[in-house]
Amino acid sequence: MTTPAVSISHLRKVYRGGTVAVDDLSMQIAPGDFFGFLGPNGAGKSTTIHCMTGIAKPTSGKIEIFGIDAVKDYREARRLIGLSPQEFNVDTFAKVTQIIDWMGGYFGLRAAERKARVEMLIDRFELGPHAKKQFRELSGGLKRRVILARALVHDPKLLILDEPTAGVDVELRRDLWRYLQELNRDGKTILLTSHYLEEIERLCRTISIINDGKIVREGPKAEFLLTGDLEAAYLTATGAEPDHIEGAAA
Amino acid sequence: MSTIDNTAELTPMSPISINWIGLWTIIRREMSRLMRVPTQAFVAPWISALMFIFVFGYVVGTRIATIGGHRYIEFVLPGILMLNVVNAAFLQSSSQIYFQRFLRYIEEVLVAPFSHIEMIVGLLAMTVVRSVITAVGILLIGAAFGATSVSGIVEFLFWIVAVSIIFGLLGIIIGLWANNFEQLTMLNIFFITPLSFVGGVFNTVHMLPGWLHWIAWANPFFYFINGIRHSMIGFTETPELLAAGLTLGLMVVLLAVVWKLFSIGYGLRE
Repeated sequence: MTTPAVSISHLRKVYRGGTVAVDDLSMQIAPGDFFGFLGPNGAGKSTTIHCMTGIAKPTSGKIEIFGIDAVKDYREARRLIGLSPQEFNVDTFAKVTQIIDWMGGYFGLRAAERKARVEMLIDRFELGPHAKKQFRELSGGLKRRVILARALVHDPKLLILDEPTAGVDVELRRDLWRYLQELNRDGKTILLTSHYLEEIERLCRTISIINDGKIVREGPKAEFLLTGDLEAAYLTATGAEPDHIEGAAA
Repeated sequence: MSTIDNTAELTPMSPISINWIGLWTIIRREMSRLMRVPTQAFVAPWISALMFIFVFGYVVGTRIATIGGHRYIEFVLPGILMLNVVNAAFLQSSSQIYFQRFLRYIEEVLVAPFSHIEMIVGLLAMTVVRSVITAVGILLIGAAFGATSVSGIVEFLFWIVAVSIIFGLLGIIIGLWANNFEQLTMLNIFFITPLSFVGGVFNTVHMLPGWLHWIAWANPFFYFINGIRHSMIGFTETPELLAAGLTLGLMVVLLAVVWKLFSIGYGLRE
């Protein structure tokens, strides 16, 4: 039996103050899958991702990354993950090359390897003219490219993209789609959250919908499209008003 | 756009292995941040020390009798040096962790394969580096006034490193706790500055009124200042082993507190 890329069992996350962000969530992502993780704002998507990557501490439950316990053996598990977060968590005065290089260093890449990876990613994301600029000097789209390059510097087996195309223009979005498909074809497992259902429909093979901290529907993309389009399926799963659902299906 | 080459090779990691490259990267990164503000990080404490040495040591000091056979400028220099080492260490670690939290780039370290102790060592390493650079600058300023002497280099290094670590650890605690700039400066205003001034920077304990002696003995700065003073001019008012023992004990307690805070994710993880 193949070890799942991600296996989450009965995950629960309660924040200080008592807010239950994730409640008894279980899901699996197959290796090599392009997995869409959908849900309204505040549904628990980012909290689930934060628990997987070490930014948040799970209250209870178990998370395994390629069979490695993400809490007990967290160092080994984290080496397998690359995260492109929803918000820019960057030293805004640092230069583009520094941001990518430092992340490579954190993950233990040796200097020569790091240099080659940084150069390759700078070239891949067409950041060459901006390599020596400070992060704060870049446009929104360029910032998003830097964050993606940073997530890929250690060549993770699992790439987590939390709304990677938010605020990105159409041209770059399409370019990123092509690039993500290329990465996925090369065997990288990708978990993608997005509010652009077109993006999820175009890229993902498996979809999971979370609402109020619980998975409310999951399965292959084809199943979601059997009874209409993804938007109608999404609105139904998240308990939207019937007129909204009818509007989407029309 | 070109095709990506996914061939990065990560250094193999056993459960007890140390992420040396990661640790070095923490230091490189923080050094880069400091180099953006060299005046604030290094020049400011040197100018402050220069003023203290000139006014108290040189101008006022020439009108004060020797203390324990030492000129007043020689007596006061170790205290001024310790005062600045304490400030450098506290400011370094507290601001490093606070700004990482404030701008959220602490998450870059949290998602990387670091153990808690590696994160703490990374923070403290840069703290010691900044303190040592500050101390060397003040020694050179003291030398310009003919007041610098180090009678025991190992003992001197022990006090610089030990006190840097203690205030680095205190800075980490405050940096994790603070939710605004006001809170970040509280310990410095209400604890570090007052206690360091009454801890024997400018005077011996016997110069204080009798009823204040017990406060001096209960003040940890008293031991730090006497320790560094002994390593420089051989003069101390405390038993050396007692001072070193108390300092090491305090260091162990603070290290345990910081390790616990990291392990529960206090101020770090949601």
